[in-house]
Amino acid sequence: MSGDRVVAPVGFRSRNLGDPRRHVDVVLAAAVGAVLLFGLILVYSATRRLDGGNGYVVRQMMFAVVGIGAASAAALVDYRKVADWWQALYAVSIVMLIGVLTPLGTVVNGTSGWYRAGSIALQPAEFAKLTTILAIAAYLGSVDEVDLRRLAGALGLLGVPVLLTLLQPDLGSALVFIVLGLGMLVVAGVRMKHLGVLVTLGIVAILMILNSGALDDYQTERLTSFISPDEQSYNVDQSQKAIGSGGLTGYGLANGPQTRGGYVPEQQTDFIFTVVGEEFGFLGSSLLVALLGIIIWRCWRAAQLAADQIGTLLCIGVTCMFLFHIFENIGMTLGIMPVTGIPLPFVSYGGSSLLVSFVAVGLVQSVHMHRFS
Amino acid sequence: MNTSSTQVRLSAIGIVAVCLFAALIVRLWFLQGVDPQRFEAATESNRLRVIHEEGPRGRILDRNGRIIVDNRTTIVVALDREPLRKLDDAERSAVFADLADTLTDLGVPTKLSTVEGRFADVRYSPQENVPVADEVPEDVELYLAERAARFPGVVVERRTVRTYPYGSLAAQVIGYVGESNADELAKVAGDAAPKAADGTPKEYRPGDSFGKGGIESAQEAVLRGVPGRRTIEVNARGEFLAETERVVPQAGDDVWLSLDLDLQAQAERLLAAKIKSLRGQRSREGTLNAPQGSVVIIQPGTGQVLAMASYPSYNPSILVNGISTDLWEQLNDPNSGQPLVNWAIQGAYAPGSTFKPITALAGWRAGIIGPDNEYYVDGGTYRLQSCEGEGCTFQNAGQKTLGEVDLARSLAVSSDTYYYRLAELMWLNRRQFGDDPIQDVAVEFGMGKPTGIDLPGEAGGRVPTPTQRRAEFEANPDVFMTGDWFTGDTVITSIGQGDVLVTPLQLAELYATIASGGVRHRPQAVFQVTRPLDPAAPPGQPGNFEIVRTVEPEEVGRVEMGGEFYLRVLAGLIGVTQDDDGTASRSWASSPTAWVMGGKTGTAQVAGKADSALFAGWGPVASGIPPEFAVSVIIPESGFGGDVAAPLAFRILAPASDGTLSVACTVAAAAQCREEEGRAAQASVADVGSGGPG
Repeated sequence: MSGDRVVAPVGFRSRNLGDPRRHVDVVLAAAVGAVLLFGLILVYSATRRLDGGNGYVVRQMMFAVVGIGAASAAALVDYRKVADWWQALYAVSIVMLIGVLTPLGTVVNGTSGWYRAGSIALQPAEFAKLTTILAIAAYLGSVDEVDLRRLAGALGLLGVPVLLTLLQPDLGSALVFIVLGLGMLVVAGVRMKHLGVLVTLGIVAILMILNSGALDDYQTERLTSFISPDEQSYNVDQSQKAIGSGGLTGYGLANGPQTRGGYVPEQQTDFIFTVVGEEFGFLGSSLLVALLGIIIWRCWRAAQLAADQIGTLLCIGVTCMFLFHIFENIGMTLGIMPVTGIPLPFVSYGGSSLLVSFVAVGLVQSVHMHRFS
Repeated sequence: MNTSSTQVRLSAIGIVAVCLFAALIVRLWFLQGVDPQRFEAATESNRLRVIHEEGPRGRILDRNGRIIVDNRTTIVVALDREPLRKLDDAERSAVFADLADTLTDLGVPTKLSTVEGRFADVRYSPQENVPVADEVPEDVELYLAERAARFPGVVVERRTVRTYPYGSLAAQVIGYVGESNADELAKVAGDAAPKAADGTPKEYRPGDSFGKGGIESAQEAVLRGVPGRRTIEVNARGEFLAETERVVPQAGDDVWLSLDLDLQAQAERLLAAKIKSLRGQRSREGTLNAPQGSVVIIQPGTGQVLAMASYPSYNPSILVNGISTDLWEQLNDPNSGQPLVNWAIQGAYAPGSTFKPITALAGWRAGIIGPDNEYYVDGGTYRLQSCEGEGCTFQNAGQKTLGEVDLARSLAVSSDTYYYRLAELMWLNRRQFGDDPIQDVAVEFGMGKPTGIDLPGEAGGRVPTPTQRRAEFEANPDVFMTGDWFTGDTVITSIGQGDVLVTPLQLAELYATIASGGVRHRPQAVFQVTRPLDPAAPPGQPGNFEIVRTVEPEEVGRVEMGGEFYLRVLAGLIGVTQDDDGTASRSWASSPTAWVMGGKTGTAQVAGKADSALFAGWGPVASGIPPEFAVSVIIPESGFGGDVAAPLAFRILAPASDGTLSVACTVAAAAQCREEEGRAAQASVADVGSGGPG
């Protein structure tokens, strides 16, 4: 900053290298914007037969506006300041996860995972994903070496939401917690020996849960339908038909017969990928997968560039969360993953999911922008 | 700051991410790039439904273009089994139970077992809708349509079915329409399917309608329409989205019968009244049961059937939506008179004295009677020359003594002994005349085999011969008493008794042939086939149809009757109605036709039962005027021909002869018709007869 010769108006464009606003990851922002637009088009096509194509899209746009605001706020605030509040944020989200199991929560499709007030519905598990990432990042990122006590503590932070979401029961969200937790533990430097024991214990635990009858029949069926494709459920069958019949270029927007006829259930939310598959074909689907890949890449890159371990872990937590959401959601529609109710980030219709995805990207941007300060 | 260890671990995460994305892309390519047609076909079977529509059947009209059989729309509840198969057993049972209960509550009694049976019915192809309830009212259609989600796979369709403006009129001639069975479908499978005028095949699908009996069956290929289809796109709940293809069905051609509805109605009305009045009366031989009866009127010179009445009758509209087992048994129960049977072509009866012109012609041809030796003194009995002892004497019916008779008088007063003598002389000289000179003449007149009328199920009657009896005995020695033929067999054959059997149609044809001087025509019920120019306008309206086919009269033979013989037979048959002592003269006088009629009464004896009453004849009989009507009336177990059958024939033809025939009543005008029927019955019951057999 020069005192005499003002080249550019101060405040319009900061020339300070340390100013975080100069280090926005434009590629990440652009990819998110592109995926969001893509998603709006798909929600339009999927819901056109339900309401003429207005209600859902307009609501999703409103969610997006709120989400962009939240993301901007999260990006501008230094993530370290946010991380300082991790205990309070984590505690609030756990209380909400407990509360949703009480009669305060609403049961949808057999899962008690929602707070409903009028037309607004809130999914606390989505927010808990963020607070858990923040908590583990802050808890593990503040030490140089993760000893067994730290590891146990981190597992505790992870275990509580896993258990609470399983109680809803929301198997998909529980899996998201496990995967993002595992990714963060790997990057946090947990010793391979410990990780090995942990993974082994995890597998044993999963087998025990499957055989204990603690899961509802439909959940076991969803998991086994993936293992034995002969008994694939109607959803997966219709979903693959829709995507497969799209061919190379698809039927064109709003022309997919499966989509028009409403053959694919939950199409605007969990099975939204079938719309792009049927109506835009392999080219359109690949484009969407590529855009989502760019988001993953930029989040991962932010983890790599982060100024500290907290930032790295925060970013890798978000990366793993998105990665699992994307792979599980698309994989489910393609018939290579079991059916769980996990939304596709920035694409699936739904306020909680969209808001959380935006805040998550906002936090990653914050890490990216504050890497020099 | 990141340590190198962290970088390594981050890279590991990165590699995992790249692998997962690669897996997605590979799988995506496998689904979309390799063989997308496979999925396209799968989604088509998902969303496209083909709805087959039968073309409306052609209508059936009388010779004047009045509609006897028409079409109307009915509402049918059916199952679309595609979505039902996706439900599990418990869900499906629940839907079926709900449907059966709902329909029953709405006034359409439906059994759960019926619904389940139809769902499992293998006669329907998997894509086809199977009907579970017919004739449902419109509010049921509305109720179900508004609750599509509650009744998955339940559809309400509109179908075209037969309607009968004249009720039971000509029921057995018309036949009825029912669901095709496997045998019928096999007959019209593939290339055997009938074709429309432009060559389009009228293909059948299981459950399609098929003519059963009568004209509906005989003219199935003509009446059937060309089926069409609609391909529609439906959504996941089976709701209509769009029509993607439509092949409009074409109506079948209209069939005009040679029947005159007014004459048909007159014949049926009077026949029914007569039989009802006879039933329960006592006679010498026993109770008059009159289990059935027929009247056939054909046009001499063309063979066209003008009226064909068979009693008892039924209303074909009760068969429109299929036949329950109970109803079917009732319709075929001999105690109810088997109303489905067309006795006019399916009943075979001893012709009795109506057979005598045949024996007379045989005797004339043999030279036993002729211009010089046709007189004979009828002493009431005839003793066989070749036989001694009891059982060698044959009597006139009613032990009448008729005095001197010639050929003409033998017919007018119905002498039996005249024919006994002819028969014995022919049999005794069989080296000269052959074993069966009488039977040969009968066959020439078309007896003993079906006439070939264009109606199904016709019986052939029976002309017994020594050869035939021998063959039958040898084939079944336990069933028949003897294989030998005796003099007495020829003797009773000569008066239409014994084993001789004719159908009412054959008898009418016999007298039509006599009326036209020996020219025989095949009887025919169909007059022409047409196609309407404007389907909405009445099909019989002049100028509204094009003729597809006209059925020309078909000559099937000529019976040589020498001029002298013919004049004598005519004199005899006219004497039956005109001579003071003619066997039908009193009844003719009580309801005379506007012109002179010739004919012959018959009273056939049947062991253990009351006599069958017969009359056959024609009119007008006058030189230079062509005969218009040949009639036969046969009512078994009803008494004397001159008392029962002849008066009925005259009552039927009298208004036709002077143009005062009343117009056939439609069902809509039923009340008025019952009144008329009551009057006719009273008049018919009051008829006087000749008071004797013959």
